[in-house]
Amino acid sequence: MKREHKKDMWGFYFEQLVQSIPFFLKGLWMTVALSGLSLVAGTVVGFAWGIIRAGKGKVLKRIIGAWVDLIRGTPFLVQVFIAFFILPEAGIQLEAFPAAVIALTNLSACFICEIVVGGIQAIPSGQREAATASGLSSYHQLRHIVLPQAMRIILPPLVGQYVLLIKDSSVVSAIGVTDVTRVGWLTVQRIPEGIMVFGLVGILYFVICYPLIRLSNSMEKRMTVVTTRL
Amino acid sequence: MTGCPAKDQDRKAKIVLETFNFRIIVEYLPLYWKCFFATLWLSGGGLAGALLVGVLSCSMRLSESRIASTAAGVYIESIRSTPLLAQLYFFYFGLPSLGIRLPEEATGILALTLNSGAYMAEIIRAGIQSISHGQIEAAISSGLNYVQRMRYIILPQALGVSIPPMLGQAIVLVKDSALLSLISIVELTRAGQILTSERFMPAEGFLTTAVFYLIIYYILKTFSNWSQKRLIFRGA
Amino acid sequence: MIRFSNVNKWFGDLHVLKDIDLEVEAGEVVVVCGPSGSGKSTLIRCINRLEPIQQGELVVDNMKVHEKKTSMTRIRAEIGFVFQQFNLYPHMTALGNVTIAPIKVRKMKKREAEKLGREILTRVGLGNKADAYPAQLSGGQQQRVAIARGLCMRPKIMLFDEPTSALDPEMINEVLDVMRDLAKEGMTMMVVTHEMGFAREVANRVVFMDEGQIIETAPPNDFFKNPRTERAKLFLSKILTH
Repeated sequence: MKREHKKDMWGFYFEQLVQSIPFFLKGLWMTVALSGLSLVAGTVVGFAWGIIRAGKGKVLKRIIGAWVDLIRGTPFLVQVFIAFFILPEAGIQLEAFPAAVIALTNLSACFICEIVVGGIQAIPSGQREAATASGLSSYHQLRHIVLPQAMRIILPPLVGQYVLLIKDSSVVSAIGVTDVTRVGWLTVQRIPEGIMVFGLVGILYFVICYPLIRLSNSMEKRMTVVTTRL
Repeated sequence: MTGCPAKDQDRKAKIVLETFNFRIIVEYLPLYWKCFFATLWLSGGGLAGALLVGVLSCSMRLSESRIASTAAGVYIESIRSTPLLAQLYFFYFGLPSLGIRLPEEATGILALTLNSGAYMAEIIRAGIQSISHGQIEAAISSGLNYVQRMRYIILPQALGVSIPPMLGQAIVLVKDSALLSLISIVELTRAGQILTSERFMPAEGFLTTAVFYLIIYYILKTFSNWSQKRLIFRGA
Repeated sequence: MIRFSNVNKWFGDLHVLKDIDLEVEAGEVVVVCGPSGSGKSTLIRCINRLEPIQQGELVVDNMKVHEKKTSMTRIRAEIGFVFQQFNLYPHMTALGNVTIAPIKVRKMKKREAEKLGREILTRVGLGNKADAYPAQLSGGQQQRVAIARGLCMRPKIMLFDEPTSALDPEMINEVLDVMRDLAKEGMTMMVVTHEMGFAREVANRVVFMDEGQIIETAPPNDFFKNPRTERAKLFLSKILTH
């Protein structure tokens, strides 16, 4: 009797879950929007920081380096809490979504900065010497010689980093942003079938992340072919 | 502000002392200390488990049995394509509906283990595949079988190469353990949350939390740099 | 000892070994030469099934290598293989490299194996380098350790895949000396090489391959002085003007 009862309940919950799908899709949209905004902003800032870090300004290099280290050494959840709870104390009133965007943008920028530095430093210095010898300014060197080549090295890990950041975005559910994870958390209060609910959450993340992972892998393979030929 | 430097400094110091309540931190230090160790042993447990799971799933992934290889592949790809928090909630809310009631710490360590285990498997796999194929041919040619090749030739070298990325994963694991605070486990991040909810002092709470994490981070980083130097010296 | 009968092998669509018939008797030293891409490396790699064959029969020491169900462990224990790239295990000393197989495959006791290992390392002139790591040895020394590694299994056959091609010129002779001694002691050897001086001195036969086929087989003097086929003549003219 009990097993049948369980099966019925399961069927009932499943129906309820199906009815909640629009809610989940809204959460998915929130995840995409949050990640999209933060990744774009983070890429811009990250590239700027990376170019500075790979350059000559000693003071700026150290400051950015120290900040990146701080961010890499602390959990993102703590950073999100700091953005949400502490920035208001410094006078910046924030709601959950803006706080999340700031924290995620900052996180993205820090990790992307390191990837950019790696890519730039992989270009042999001899090329920059040659460019300087022919009179090209630093700006032109960067724009026409260093960055175009560095991009090939930067792209695969960059895409990989995007995947990591999309997954990190789930953490902002802790301050109430209604992303996919939070939708799951709210739903499971009503539909106490954790496996179904978070199975669905997992599938939704999978749909976004898995193609990007494959893309990053195939980019990496193509890149290693080129370098071994060199 | 007037132009007298000493007075300005006094005033600034007073502002800091008033806005940042060190006394509260000292008061809560025993809690932080307890939570610091909680974080350490939660991460440590996760790390140990992850190594086991990693070695196991990696050998399954590389084995010749289609079933083992696919099963391991599904496991690894699912973990890598979903966030740790979703996995954590999956176990926290999902296991009870299967009738399994675990204490939160166990659920937390389980989630950490399975999550990091997949990444460990990939790290070990990269280490194994970095062994030049020629050596494997030499080992085959002298009659060593698969298990012997793995045990004496491939794994010793692969593990050596894998240590720096594994230490990186250890750092990630410590940071990941912060999520356990969201299922009511008392560790460093929870200490910050407690200070916020009990005393309305999120700054003192979370900044102190951050400092503790940074201590662990710098210790692990130093260890990682030291071990990398030793490995290069060995000529591996 | 080694017999290829009508052997054919493909890499995908590429026909790399065409109708190979070859017999090597015990105690014979056979040198295989030919232009690159001729299939000579593939040929000897088939003998210990580093490469499988698709057609034909390959019998080594009375065991049928071409049959998938034949266990290769016993056969490989009787064959020593020396690679162009040495392929020593970097995490083990020279002694470790040469003793791992005797201990694990022939089930020798460690002390016995180490005694044997030191003996054979001394034979190849590296007695004092037994505890050195490959990274500390020169190319010629590494290759000699690789030969010692093969010899420690007390094999019936030694196979060499271009053993000196990756060496600097001044180190080639130390390796060839070891190989010469082996040949004089009566080891069955099959050597893929461009070292014609070695072939002339020690080989019983020279096998010339081109485009996957065996074009000519002859004793070295006959082959070098009077090559019978056009392709052999062309090949020799290119090699010997070096």
